[in-house]
Amino acid sequence: MSEILDVPLRRPSRSEAAKNARATSKRNADVTRLLPQPLLVTVIVVLLLVVLLPVLYIVFASINSDVSVASGAFFPEQLHLDNYVKVWSTVALATGLLNSILVSGIVAIVCALLAVSTAYVLVRYSFRGRLTFLRALLGLQSIPGTLMLLPVFVLFSTAATTLGIQIIGTRWALFVTYLTFALPFSTWVMVTYLRGLPRELEEAARIDGASSWRILTGIIVPLSWPGIVVSAIFAFLLGWNDVLFASVMTSPDSRTAAVALQVFGATQEGGAVPLYGQMMAAALICAAPVVVLYLVFQRYLVGGLTAGGVK
Amino acid sequence: MTTTASAPERASAAGRPEGTTPSAGRPARRRGRSPNERNRPFWMLLPGGILMVLVIVIPLVLAIVISMLDLDQYTLRSWLQAPFIGLGNFVEAVTKSTLLRSIGISASFAAIAAVATLPIGLFAALATQNAFRGRGLVRSIFLIPYVLPTFVVATVWRTMLQPGGVVNEGLDALGIHTGLWLNGPQSYWALIVVQIWSSWPFFYLLVLAGLQSVDQEVHEAAAIDGALWWTKLRYVILPYLRGPIALALIISFLHNVNGFTLPFVLFGVPAPQDVEVLPVLTYVTSFQSFRFGLSASMAVASLVLIAIPLFIYLRAVKLDTGDEGGKR
Amino acid sequence: MKARHAKTGRLLGVVAGIAVLGIALQGCSSGGTPKASDSAADLDGTGKTITVMVGANTVYPTEQKKWFQDVSDQFEKTTGAKVAFETYASANDELTKIQTSVISGQGPDIYNLGTTFTPTANATGAFVTLTDADWDKIGGRDKFLQSTLGISGPDAKHEVGVPFASRPFVMAYNTELLKAAGIDKPATTWDEFTAQAKKLTSGDTYGLAVAYADSFDPWKFVWAMSVQAGNPILDGTKARLTDPVTVKAYETYFNWLAKDKVVDPSAIGWKSAQSLAAFANGKAAYLPMTTSTSQVSLDTSAVAGKYAYALMPTVPPGEKTLPKGGKGATSILSGDNMVVAKYSKNQDLAFALLKQFTSPKNQVEYNKLFGDLPTNAAAAKTVEEGNDKLVPVVESASKAVGTPFSGAWGDTQLALVNVVVQSIPALSNGSVSTADIKAKLATAQSTAQAALDKVK
Repeated sequence: MSEILDVPLRRPSRSEAAKNARATSKRNADVTRLLPQPLLVTVIVVLLLVVLLPVLYIVFASINSDVSVASGAFFPEQLHLDNYVKVWSTVALATGLLNSILVSGIVAIVCALLAVSTAYVLVRYSFRGRLTFLRALLGLQSIPGTLMLLPVFVLFSTAATTLGIQIIGTRWALFVTYLTFALPFSTWVMVTYLRGLPRELEEAARIDGASSWRILTGIIVPLSWPGIVVSAIFAFLLGWNDVLFASVMTSPDSRTAAVALQVFGATQEGGAVPLYGQMMAAALICAAPVVVLYLVFQRYLVGGLTAGGVK
Repeated sequence: MTTTASAPERASAAGRPEGTTPSAGRPARRRGRSPNERNRPFWMLLPGGILMVLVIVIPLVLAIVISMLDLDQYTLRSWLQAPFIGLGNFVEAVTKSTLLRSIGISASFAAIAAVATLPIGLFAALATQNAFRGRGLVRSIFLIPYVLPTFVVATVWRTMLQPGGVVNEGLDALGIHTGLWLNGPQSYWALIVVQIWSSWPFFYLLVLAGLQSVDQEVHEAAAIDGALWWTKLRYVILPYLRGPIALALIISFLHNVNGFTLPFVLFGVPAPQDVEVLPVLTYVTSFQSFRFGLSASMAVASLVLIAIPLFIYLRAVKLDTGDEGGKR
Repeated sequence: MKARHAKTGRLLGVVAGIAVLGIALQGCSSGGTPKASDSAADLDGTGKTITVMVGANTVYPTEQKKWFQDVSDQFEKTTGAKVAFETYASANDELTKIQTSVISGQGPDIYNLGTTFTPTANATGAFVTLTDADWDKIGGRDKFLQSTLGISGPDAKHEVGVPFASRPFVMAYNTELLKAAGIDKPATTWDEFTAQAKKLTSGDTYGLAVAYADSFDPWKFVWAMSVQAGNPILDGTKARLTDPVTVKAYETYFNWLAKDKVVDPSAIGWKSAQSLAAFANGKAAYLPMTTSTSQVSLDTSAVAGKYAYALMPTVPPGEKTLPKGGKGATSILSGDNMVVAKYSKNQDLAFALLKQFTSPKNQVEYNKLFGDLPTNAAAAKTVEEGNDKLVPVVESASKAVGTPFSGAWGDTQLALVNVVVQSIPALSNGSVSTADIKAKLATAQSTAQAALDKVK
C-alpha cells in the first residue's frame, strides 16, 4: 500500500518507532485524523463565530420592532416575541412550508435517484456522445435563470392550451422545473463520486449474471450514500430557495415558503416599513426544517468503504 | 467511434485479456467480455434526458429565437410575430449597453469568490471529518449560511452594512474607518464577502462527500509511514479530492456568475456602477425596461463568452474524462 | 447497443420536435380576444371564478384576508360568481407576472396596478380599452373624482384604468420640533423648506429625513420640482431631462445633505423605511414624500400624537411664486388603478366586480380598513368629514398631477433614479458638482429619448 506514497518521507528514528508501536492502538482510532488538534479547534471556532454572529443578528432582529431594525439596531430595544405568532397569519406560511417541503423533498429524492442512474451509465459505459453529454450537462449549469423564465412559461402554457394539461399554478410546474434544473448538477456530483468507486464488486456481480438494474440498486446505491445525500441536499435547496420561478408559476394554494417570505420584505412606496421582525422570524422558521433534515442525514456522510467489502 | 482510448485500460482493469473493439453493426455477443460493450442500459438515460430536453433545451432554443426578435412591451402579446432583427440585439448589447463591463464585473467577482471559498470549505470538511462530541451539531451549524434563503441573507447583510450600521460601528470601535459599503468602489468587496459567507458550505459539502471515499487502509498506511499531517494531506488525501474540488470550483463560479437574488437585494436597482453584475443587468433590461429581445441577447452572449473558459477549464482539469476506475 | 443508443437519441429528437411545434402554434395565437357575452342583463356567473391580482398588504394582513372573503361573498350574492385573489409581494413581482401572463395569454382577469405602472401595462396592448358601454357596466365614469382619472389612459377616449384607491404623497412634520423652532406653519416653497430645515437642525436632530438610497423616492422629488417649474420631463416626443430646472432640482436634492447639512449623513444609505424610522424616533423634523400609510407606524412610535401631515411645497427652488407654465403639483397621481385583461373569458363579470369595488359603500369600507382614500366622489366626501388628520392628504389628491402617460415612462423613471444612485459615492465624499449632474443627466437623457423613440 505504501506504493501510493511516492514521495520521500521522514523515516522514524528508533525511539520514535518504539513510541509509535506503543501508541498503535490509540492511533488506530486517530489514524484517520487529518488535522492536528489545535488547528482543528481553531478552524471550528472561527467558522462557528463567523457563521453565528449574523445568525445572532437575525435572532435579535426577529424579536425586535420593525422600526428599530430599520434604524440598524443590533440588540432589541423592546421584546416582540409575538412576531413568531404573527408570521403564521400575515402570510400563508404554514401552507407555504408544506408546499416547499413537499415539492423540494420529492424533487430531492427523485433527482438523486435519476442522477445515480444517469451517472452510472455515463461513468461505467462508453458510447458515442458520452463526452458531449457530460460537457453539455456542465454547460447547462451556466444558463442564467432570468433567461429561462419566459420561455419555460411559454412551454407550460403551450401544454395547457394544446394538450389541455394545466401545469401553471399547480405544484407540478415547480416539481418539473426544479427537478430538471437540479439534474445536471446532481448528475455531475454522482459522476465525480462514482469515479472513486472500485469496479471489482460490479464486475463480480456481472460475472454472476446480474442485470444492470440489479447492480445499480444492489451495489452502487448502497455504496454511494454520501454522494446521494449531497446530491439530494443540493436538489432540495434549489427548490427551497428559488423565488423567481415560484413567484410566477404558483397559485395561492401551491405557493412555496420562499415566495411567501417575499411579502415580508415588501414596501409600498411611501410609508410602509418592511416587516423586518416577522421576516427574520420566518427566515429562521424556514431554515429550521432543512437544518433538521441535515442533522438527520449527515450521519450518512461518514466513514469510507469498509475494508472487507471491497477486497 | 464508440470506445475511447481507454478501452485497453478498462479491459485490463477487468482482469481480462484485451478484447477487440466492437465495430458498429455487430450484434451484442453474450461473451465474457468487459461489460462496456453489451447491455448498455440507455433506458436509464431516458427520464433525465427527456426532462432536460423538454424543460431546458427547448426553452433555451426559444430564448435564442427571442434574442433575434425585437421583442418589447409593444410586441409581447403575439411574440412570434415580433419583427425579426437577426443580430441587431447582439450588436446593441455589445456596443450600446454596459454588457461587457457587467460580464467583467461578474466573471471577476465570481472567480475571486469561488477561489476564496476553497480553503474555507476544505478546512471545514477536514476538521469535521472525524467524530467528536457534537460533530453533528457543528456540521449542521456550518450549513446554515447556505440554507438561509438568499434574500434573507442579503437583507441582513444590507442592514448590517448600511452607513451607521453594525459593521461600521464595530469597525469604528476598533479604530478602522471604512466608508460606504453598499455603493462606490467598496461595494465590489462587500459583494464578494457576502457571497463567500453564504456559499462556503457548498464547497464544504462537496469536499466532505469526497472525503468519504478515502479508504481506512490509506489512512493506516500513511500513519505507518509516519507521515506528518501536512504531508499526508497534500500527497495522500488531496488527490482523492481533486474531482470534488475541481467540480466545486467550476460550479461555484457558475452559480456566482448567474446569481441574481444576492446582488439584487443587497444593492437594489438601479445597481451602483461597481456592482452592476450580469444577472441584474439582464433582469432590469427584461423585467423593468421590457426589452426582452435585448435581454435575451445579453444572456446568450454572456453564455457563449463563459462557455469558452468553461470548456478550457474542463480540459485542463480533465473533469470530463476523469480517471475511470478510481485511484488504485 | 448502437441501435439502442440511436433509438434513445431519436426519441429525444421527436419529443423536442413536438414541443417546438406546439409552442409555435401557441405563440401565433396568444393574445386573441375572446368574444365577451353580450348584454349585462343575463349576467350569470354561477360556477365561474374571477381572479384578481392585488398587492399583499403587509400593514393589515388579517384584515386583507377577511376583505377577500367579504368581497367574494358579496359578489356571489349578486352574480353567483366567486372571486379569487392572488397577491404579489412587490411592484417588480407584479410586472413579471403581467409579462408572463401576456406572453402566454392566461392569468388573472383583473390586475390592481400602481398608477405609475398603468402606462407600461397599457403599452402591451393586453388590457381592455374601456368603451362607453363598458363604463356604464362599471357604474358610470362620472361617479369618480375626475382628478383620479388622470392616469387611466393617454386621453379620455382611450382609458384602460379604473381608479380604485388614492394614495397621494404628503409630508409629515413633527409639531413639537416646529413649535420649538418658532415656525408656525410648514413651508409652501422649496426654498422656505430648506431655510426652515436649517433652523430645525441642531445636535443630532436634523431638519429632514430623506431616503437617498431608495429605489422609488428620489425621482419624485426631481419630478415635482421640474413640473412645478414647467418641465414635464417627457414632452410629447421629446425627453427633457437636461433642462436647467431639472439640473437645479438635483442640486437642491443633493445639497440638503452636502451643503445645507440638514439631513443625517447616514441617509445616503437609507431606504424609505429608514427615513421613516428616523422621523419616528424624533430625529428629524420633516419627513417628505410619505403617504397616509405611515400613520400606522407613526401612531405606535415615539412621535405619536406629535406629528401631522401637510402638503409638500409647490413652488420650485429658486422661485418665490409658481412660474408661468409651471403646475402646482402637490404629488404624483398616486394610488391604484384596476385593469381588465383582454384574454379574460369573463369580461362582463369583471366589469360587474369593478362596479362593486368602486361603489360608495365599498369604497368607504375599504378606507376604514386600509386607510387608502376613495376614488368614488361620494365616498371621498364621506371620508373627509370624518378625519382631521387626512384633510391635507385629501387636498393633495385633488391637486395631484399625473406622470406622463407613455410606455417610455418606466425607463425614464429608472434613469432619473440612476442619476442619484451613481452620484452617491461622490455625495458621501462631500458634494456632487453641477458638471457631474449634467453629465449623468446627459446619459439619462439618451436612455429616455431612446425609449421614447421606441413608443408605437
